[in-house]
Amino acid sequence: MLSILLVVPLIGAALVAWWPGKTRSIASTVALAVIGWTVLLLTKFNLGEPGMQFVEDFTWIDSLGLSYKLGIDGLSLPLVALNSLLTWVAIYSSDEKVDRPRLYYSLILLLNAAVTGVFLAQDLLLFFISYELELVPLYLLIAIWGGQKRAYAATKFLIYTALSGALILAAFLGLAWLGGSNSFTYNPALAHALPLNQQFLLLGALLLGFGIKMPLFPFHTWLPDAHVEASTPISVLLAGVLLKLATYGILRFCVGLFPDAWQVAAPWLAGWAIISVLYGALMAIAQKDMKKMVAYSSVSHMGYILLAAAANTPLSFSAAMIQMVSHGLISAALFLSVGVVYQKAGTRDITILEGLLNPERGMPVIGSLMILGVMASAGIPGMVGFVAEFLIFRSTFPIFPIPTLLCMIGTGLTAVYYLLLINKAFFGRLSPQVQDLEAVTWRERYPAMILTGAIILFGFVPGWITRWSEPTILAMLQPPAIVATVATIPTLDLQP
Amino acid sequence: MEHLLINTGWWIPCYGFLGALLTIPWVTRLVRRTGPRPAAYLNILMTVLAFIHGSLLFRQVWDHTPYHLVFNWLTVAGLELNLTFELSSVSVAAMESVTGLSLLAQLFALGYMEKDWALARFFALVGFFEGAMSAVAISNSLLVSYGLLELLTLSTYLLVGFWYAQPLVVKAARDAFLTKRAGDIILFAGVIALSSMAGSLDFNDLYDWCETTNISMLTKTLIGLALIAGPIGKCAQFPLHLWLDEAMEGPNPASILRNSVVVTGGAYILIKVHPILYLSPFVNDTLIVIGTVTAIGATLVSIAQVDIKRTISYSTSAYLGLVFISVGANWISFALFLLFAHAIAKALLFMSVGCVILTTNNQDVTEYGGLGKSMPATTIAYIVGTLAMTGVFPLGGFWAFQDGFKGFWVEYPWVIGVILLVNGLTTFNLTRVYGLVFLGKTQPKTRRAPEVPWPLALPMVFLTVFTLITPLIMSGFGLLPSLDDISLFQIGSISLSSLIGFAAGALLYFNPDRQPMKFPVLKVQKLLEKDFYTEDFYNNTIVWAISQLSRIIAWVDRYVVEGLVNSVGVATIFGSEGLKYGTSGQVQSYFFTITVGVGVLGLMVVWLFW
Amino acid sequence: MTFTTSRHPLAAYIDRFYNGQSFLPDNPDNVKEVVGILESYGYVLEAYQENLQHIADREFLTIFPFFKYFNHGVSSNQLLKHLAHDRINFEYAEYCMKVMLWHGGGKLEEYVESPDFRQLIELAIQAKIKGNPIIQLLHRLFPEFLPEQVRQSVYYNALGQFWEVMYALFLNLGKAYDQGKITTIPEVVGFIKAGLVAAAGNQIVYAVQIGGKSYDILPQSANLTFLMDVAVPYVEAVFFRGTPFLGTVSYNAQAGEIPFEQSAFTYGALYADPLPIGGSGIPPTLLMQDMRHYLPEYLHKMYQSSKRQENDLLVKICQSFQKSMYCVTSAAILGLAPHDLKTNDPQEQASNLAYFENWMDRFLTSQLRNIQG
Repeated sequence: MLSILLVVPLIGAALVAWWPGKTRSIASTVALAVIGWTVLLLTKFNLGEPGMQFVEDFTWIDSLGLSYKLGIDGLSLPLVALNSLLTWVAIYSSDEKVDRPRLYYSLILLLNAAVTGVFLAQDLLLFFISYELELVPLYLLIAIWGGQKRAYAATKFLIYTALSGALILAAFLGLAWLGGSNSFTYNPALAHALPLNQQFLLLGALLLGFGIKMPLFPFHTWLPDAHVEASTPISVLLAGVLLKLATYGILRFCVGLFPDAWQVAAPWLAGWAIISVLYGALMAIAQKDMKKMVAYSSVSHMGYILLAAAANTPLSFSAAMIQMVSHGLISAALFLSVGVVYQKAGTRDITILEGLLNPERGMPVIGSLMILGVMASAGIPGMVGFVAEFLIFRSTFPIFPIPTLLCMIGTGLTAVYYLLLINKAFFGRLSPQVQDLEAVTWRERYPAMILTGAIILFGFVPGWITRWSEPTILAMLQPPAIVATVATIPTLDLQP
Repeated sequence: MEHLLINTGWWIPCYGFLGALLTIPWVTRLVRRTGPRPAAYLNILMTVLAFIHGSLLFRQVWDHTPYHLVFNWLTVAGLELNLTFELSSVSVAAMESVTGLSLLAQLFALGYMEKDWALARFFALVGFFEGAMSAVAISNSLLVSYGLLELLTLSTYLLVGFWYAQPLVVKAARDAFLTKRAGDIILFAGVIALSSMAGSLDFNDLYDWCETTNISMLTKTLIGLALIAGPIGKCAQFPLHLWLDEAMEGPNPASILRNSVVVTGGAYILIKVHPILYLSPFVNDTLIVIGTVTAIGATLVSIAQVDIKRTISYSTSAYLGLVFISVGANWISFALFLLFAHAIAKALLFMSVGCVILTTNNQDVTEYGGLGKSMPATTIAYIVGTLAMTGVFPLGGFWAFQDGFKGFWVEYPWVIGVILLVNGLTTFNLTRVYGLVFLGKTQPKTRRAPEVPWPLALPMVFLTVFTLITPLIMSGFGLLPSLDDISLFQIGSISLSSLIGFAAGALLYFNPDRQPMKFPVLKVQKLLEKDFYTEDFYNNTIVWAISQLSRIIAWVDRYVVEGLVNSVGVATIFGSEGLKYGTSGQVQSYFFTITVGVGVLGLMVVWLFW
Repeated sequence: MTFTTSRHPLAAYIDRFYNGQSFLPDNPDNVKEVVGILESYGYVLEAYQENLQHIADREFLTIFPFFKYFNHGVSSNQLLKHLAHDRINFEYAEYCMKVMLWHGGGKLEEYVESPDFRQLIELAIQAKIKGNPIIQLLHRLFPEFLPEQVRQSVYYNALGQFWEVMYALFLNLGKAYDQGKITTIPEVVGFIKAGLVAAAGNQIVYAVQIGGKSYDILPQSANLTFLMDVAVPYVEAVFFRGTPFLGTVSYNAQAGEIPFEQSAFTYGALYADPLPIGGSGIPPTLLMQDMRHYLPEYLHKMYQSSKRQENDLLVKICQSFQKSMYCVTSAAILGLAPHDLKTNDPQEQASNLAYFENWMDRFLTSQLRNIQG
């Protein structure tokens, strides 16, 4: 059942690479097949079962303790679905005349398989292998089809994320070694027996690893560079899915494996989240490049997830899940719109762009989608961003009242920088540089329109996201934690 | 039938939203060969439906205990979020006022905006506006109300930004969004805190929680202050009042709604949460101080304005300031009375002002004169609007003010002084504008001034008549006190304050050879004209601070963080050369990089294993 | 070749006039654009003028002219089309009328402000409001209310009469081009000038029928003529002054963007920026939209072969329209010149030059330079 999700894109990648014919249509057919299979999974998924479903388990390399063990639960299912959707969006929104299409499309499909592998892996080593495997296609996608400074950005990306992988591997190996296990099967009980200082060491390595990938301040500098150089579809995947690998890893491994150490570290992590949120927001304000602005807003908004993870309650985990999906959809939609602007106008500089809402010579529909996207990102109700932010703040407030309030400032700043973007680039009279642009076709609008539709839909029925993960999250965090969040809040006091 | 009406009560706001959706073919210009007016007709039709549906509903809820509609929106991990609505005679009447005024404003817009090819977008936004506003009226949950306030912030941004190619509009839209959003975010914090502490955001549950809660006074105060921050932004109170002035760059039909209905929406939410505010006396005092400062300050500023839209809009802030005082002083009926009277009178004034602007292509009061002779509907609308605003028996404002006497007489007698002062100054200002616009010699721009065409005149005349008969309707519902209960002193002092204001205004501005009046101290006049330099104040404080901070951080990011992380971290592995090579674009070099990377990883793995 | 000694910044354009040229460079594309757009403008003006005159005649002092845009009676089919906005945007004609009314100028304005006019229309007003006590009361309370409406009707009528001449002229121009009689811009300008001159002396008269009786509003005796009393004020009001567009100019009194003197207004057709056409708050969009339905095939093809094809059709129409308005203005300037341009009398030469320099002053901030490319 689950292997199909890996096999189909892998076969697809091979087909694209060697089968004569239209690469693009093969690739998008494969992507649609993956979506189809994901939908099938969604229908077969048992909502009452908190644990792993559709488990597949084969021993692979016994001597290394590596086994091919796949499974899916509430934490991974929404992200797998997001990955399937955005892969298709990325293929659909790719330039039809892209260089070396065979390599390009097969790399995207490869990336899809690797990312799905990360979400499905139930073996620590398998997780790591997929996590590393995903680097290769993404690196190449940036390095070959990127902008002018693509080599620099791709290499930087590679180094940072390779280091991230190394730290994660070190943590896994250390865990197996210290825990005295001879296999790498995911086992939440593994770290329980370890003394707290060893737990901290391992957790620290994991956190650092995922913190680089997420990215958190001060390890974020690779992200804006990578985004700026990457082409639009790759940015969509990078922001939409790739960053979620890290947050997924934090929920699954950092909290799942080291709950005790996590509990102790949580206040510090909340502090780290604040810094990341505010730093990202202030950086975004200073940007002139639309894409960099969206990239820094990712740094800011991924910080909320760390805050929610630090709060460590079922509600905050549900909030983190919905924020992952929300950020995936919103940032992807924004990158798509920015991509159209860049493709038509040849620049993303908001000091040059002006008046793009002009109905005759501008791009009014893309502008409207952009407005909806930034409003969703700023947490305007009726869209999924609001639900995510509301749940995050609602869930973290009882645990960390002051950090929550500080992170809310980040929400306010989101409105500031995005409004500057809209006002400068889309309002006003068309600036001389952009008075003679090609018209935007409906084909170029569809991807952002579809994502915007999803953003609004989930804004109205957020339960369609949270329902998948709720049982898993409730089971994952012990019952006492649940009682603590629901019953004891009214006595909470802001006074020290 | 009864159940059907009640259960479908929540449809009424949806008509507005549906109308907005129906405009999509024209807004996105899928329809190009024909014009956008069908979008307008569809929206008007939707509003008519909403109005009729609302009237039927009103008959059902009148004299009945409130009905409640509860929808579960989201239940997750022990948190239940419900969308609750209350259908009571007050809430449905408020909703009817919204749809009614929206209908008139839309009819007016059909004439006012007839030359605007983006008509569909305008009506889409107004439909959205109306939907959100009428939902605010029946909302019975802080969650819903907060969400709608945010939607109103968004639609205000888009409506003010309707003429997005005009530079001042761009600035106005930005400021409107950001100031309102600043208030909203603080309110959001309050909503989050209340949700965490009380467990539910339904107003009824919150009221119950207020009775039993034992949180500290500081927490109560902070929550109360957070709750009033949203309305401060929405109702354009000091210090978040700046946007209303700038929002006058937007189309006039939207200004009608903004000055009558939208500000009322903010105050309505304030009234909804007032039991929570009473947990802390400090919050009440804050409300009273803000209200007083705004009421007097904004009235003075309005007198110094030369722009006809702005002079009327500052008095909106002032009247809403009185509402703030009354909520702070726990005398809600005055607030409700005043909101209702103000909404209708202000809508009428703005219609009249819109006609004046359309006819003369001008907003500067010093360039007007003599319009009264040729524009009967506009002139009468202005006069009636003024009378209804300023406590002239037996129109709306009078009944509101006399209610204030009752409420404030014992505990806050000085508030009555504030009310009379604001009334007197407002009367003076409206008289001033009347003299400048409708009386006196004609000037070049007012020389040719035919009355506006019927699509503008009809809704205006209708609202004029409605304003005049509102007291009759209200007494029909038994809402007005008997005349015997009102002392001669009340009637006398209210009338006297209006009369003094009128006399002073008439003396100075009814003279055909008037000179533009200068304040005795020029600096004071400048101060008021510039709205106490609020805009400069913001530019030099918050805006400056944030932009400097972001600039500093950008510098730190570029020169400290990036350098440090690169050099301490990975760059040591590859050497700084590794980052620079490879502009060749050769596939080999990529694979080389990966090989080296994976090789290093392999080494590390081995090292760790041993 | 320089014919004048002018030191005016726009002296090059004065030279062009002496050279037999006009504001617009002469090339086949420009001819195609100008003639094509004027032909479609002709069709639109035909509809406009018919409606303006209909409103002036049939809706005289009607308080609720619900069906003022239905010249040929109301049928369900037409009503449906009207509701679908599948119609000519007569609002734009009314807008031009209001601009002209508001700016005034010429003998027409003098006449509608004269006591003679007041006396004449009082008869018509009394006839119209007979048996309507409410309006009679209003007339008593607001003595300028109905007279001002009548003045508006006068401008409805006058603009209608002006466009009645112009639409025929533009349609004939189109025909002449189709027949190959017109091939250059100077010929276009000459054609228009000839048309204007021919109609210059036409009498402008206006009378309304009330209760089967005819009431003079603009009598013969007022001696109002086509060129000087309607065409010239029209050009002044619509081509030069105009009104500020809400979509680009702030009406905020404190911002002071709009001049106090109406004569300092430069918002007319010769100054307007074509780029925001189609956006919000730009009234001429209506005209461009109307013209798109009547584009001659050759012009349509020309637009379709451009980068955005029909995507920015309204802006392209507006650009062509602006060019054509410069041709019309050229014709008017030539037609109004005090003396023959080829005169040898130094005094006449000097007065001609002063005349041209006077005009050129007004084009300093206009779109003149932008139509040269």
